[in-house]
Amino acid sequence: MAAATSSQKITVRKFQVHSNFERFAYLFMRMSGVGLLILAVGHMLIQHVLNSSANLTIEFVAAQWNSWGWKVYDILLLWLAIPHGINGLRNILEDYIHNPTTVKLINRLLALFVVATVIWATIGMALFDASKFQ
Amino acid sequence: MSSLILTIRESLRYRGRSGHVSWMAHRVSGIAILTFLVIHVWDTANAHFWPQAYAWSVAFFKYPLVAVGELVIMAAVLYHAFNGIRITILDFKPEWWMHQQRSATIVWAIFLVLFIPIAIYMFSGIVGHCSELAAHGSTCWQIPPFSDFAKYAN
Repeated sequence: MAAATSSQKITVRKFQVHSNFERFAYLFMRMSGVGLLILAVGHMLIQHVLNSSANLTIEFVAAQWNSWGWKVYDILLLWLAIPHGINGLRNILEDYIHNPTTVKLINRLLALFVVATVIWATIGMALFDASKFQ
Repeated sequence: MSSLILTIRESLRYRGRSGHVSWMAHRVSGIAILTFLVIHVWDTANAHFWPQAYAWSVAFFKYPLVAVGELVIMAAVLYHAFNGIRITILDFKPEWWMHQQRSATIVWAIFLVLFIPIAIYMFSGIVGHCSELAAHGSTCWQIPPFSDFAKYAN
């Protein structure tokens, strides 16, 4: 970070970091971010611009989730977005909470929340029976 | 908690220019998206587990204040996406750090070019929805009663 000067030349040192959870989380944020650029921005444009919340009903959702393509799109979006968002929240919280015991507790609660949310919503989408609403 | 208040105060006072503004906007938009995302995911799962609650909630989401919130989330997603890509590129390309100020400006430009027409379009949709209801003697300023969706009860 010390390289920000008026000089046009900056020194880049590359070194291998041992793999650990924080490194994995760092890489996951960037990889899932690229995926979410397509999936989340796509979701916003498709569902909120091309379609509109003004016409949104459970029947509309059923028409979409009648095809496995849309189900897989939404499940993939769920799997990337929830861990990305909760890990981002964890990064922010760790800037303000310094007690190691509290940090550990928060990390466990957030991890539990990610697992519970992803499993619950995946089951909900996978088992959703579109024929009940047509 | 006191460090959080200190951060909010100093973040607003600190004159860190474009990089600082991007850092704040990325965090604020991230928190806004996550807040709605969590509600949205648990709500959407109800389409299977509790259809009546889901059918009611999508009707409630047409309420004008919620619709304006939808516009805010649209802005947050677009900015967060483009700025996130900027962060990713610069993380893997330290040779380009000398361009970080310009890159922050480019992200704001792309965001505004996309968001402004979308915002106008979505806002006119809200106005259209409300005036259509008004033409039928109804109003969009009414929270639908839960019992209206009893036919979806499982």
